[in-house]
Amino acid sequence: MAMSEKFDSLEEHLEKFVENIRQLGIIVSDFQPSSQAGLNQKLNFMVTGLQDIDKCRQQLHDISVPLEVFEYIDQGRNPQLYTKECLERALAKNEQVKGKIDTMKKFKSLLIQELTKVFPEDMAKYKAIRGEDPPP
Amino acid sequence: MENFSALFGGAEQPPPAAAAPLGFGPAKAAGAGAAPPPAASAAASAAPPAPGEGKAAAAGPFYLLRELPGSTELTGSTNLITHYNLEHAYNKFCGKKVKEKLSNFLPDLPGMIDLPGSHDNSSLRSLIEKPPICGSSFTPLTGTMLTGFRLHAGPLPEQCRLMHIQPPKKKNKHKHKQSRTQDPVPPETPSDSDHKKKKKKKEEDPERKRKKKEKKKKKNRHSPEHPGVGSSQASSSSSLR
Repeated sequence: MAMSEKFDSLEEHLEKFVENIRQLGIIVSDFQPSSQAGLNQKLNFMVTGLQDIDKCRQQLHDISVPLEVFEYIDQGRNPQLYTKECLERALAKNEQVKGKIDTMKKFKSLLIQELTKVFPEDMAKYKAIRGEDPPP
Repeated sequence: MENFSALFGGAEQPPPAAAAPLGFGPAKAAGAGAAPPPAASAAASAAPPAPGEGKAAAAGPFYLLRELPGSTELTGSTNLITHYNLEHAYNKFCGKKVKEKLSNFLPDLPGMIDLPGSHDNSSLRSLIEKPPICGSSFTPLTGTMLTGFRLHAGPLPEQCRLMHIQPPKKKNKHKHKQSRTQDPVPPETPSDSDHKKKKKKKEEDPERKRKKKEKKKKKNRHSPEHPGVGSSQASSSSSLR
């Protein structure tokens, strides 16, 4: 919960900062002399906003962001696609490795089975040394 | 087999060729009792020096029988997603379709964020590779500093105005839900919106023209100068002549 609070605080500061910049842009897009005071205020809000964001940085110093996410953002793509692709790749690799493990277990049991037919006494000694393996 | 004997001591007689490292082979023909002693002695003498004699004894009659690696609970055969409680995350990201554009992730962010960062030199990669050199603290702007921000009155040139344009957000979700059950339509790009606006204008223009024509006809009927419908037919007939 504490982690989510830190993210919420940072998100709030960022939203305020972005809103301030947006309003600054509106003032500048059609500037009037009477807007000078408002412009100065927005500029100072920009500085205080950066100060607030900088303070949030200390609370999140242990957070690591993978660089690949920045590639997605720079291309204008949704960063959640990176998470999705990570999960899909992890699942695919998990299935691949599970398949290898299951195949090797089946091979081992078949090999022991066939060797026992050909070398029963030696395999009995082998099993005594190794202990009984559970069936796959 | 000569290589094996060279590795594990040349003094001992190498085991029979058919015996192989596992100790199986023609010893059976001579009898079971004859097989273990030479194999055992060979195994005992050929045991690698680092593990020590304990492992050689554990190997028994089998040559190069190593200990199995320690078993771990977590292997590739476990479902890692359930193990690390990522089912909810998996269903959230992989169960539903995640929208492609950045503006779908940050809908409230102003500006054209779907464009690549390399276009306007606003990429995060460039920020990491070449971080801006700045001071350690943020100081508020003083009055003299703010004098540098005195602007001329009037609108910005059109080149700078594009920064405020956001991609138009489609509000016709209800209409699209009826026809398309799966995926909503992605938000329009400015070029698409321009074409559609132009199409709409083209569609509206003939309608406007018709309405204007109808209004003109009505005015012409009611005006004292023009007699009415009959006169319009007469005028058309007169033109044919």
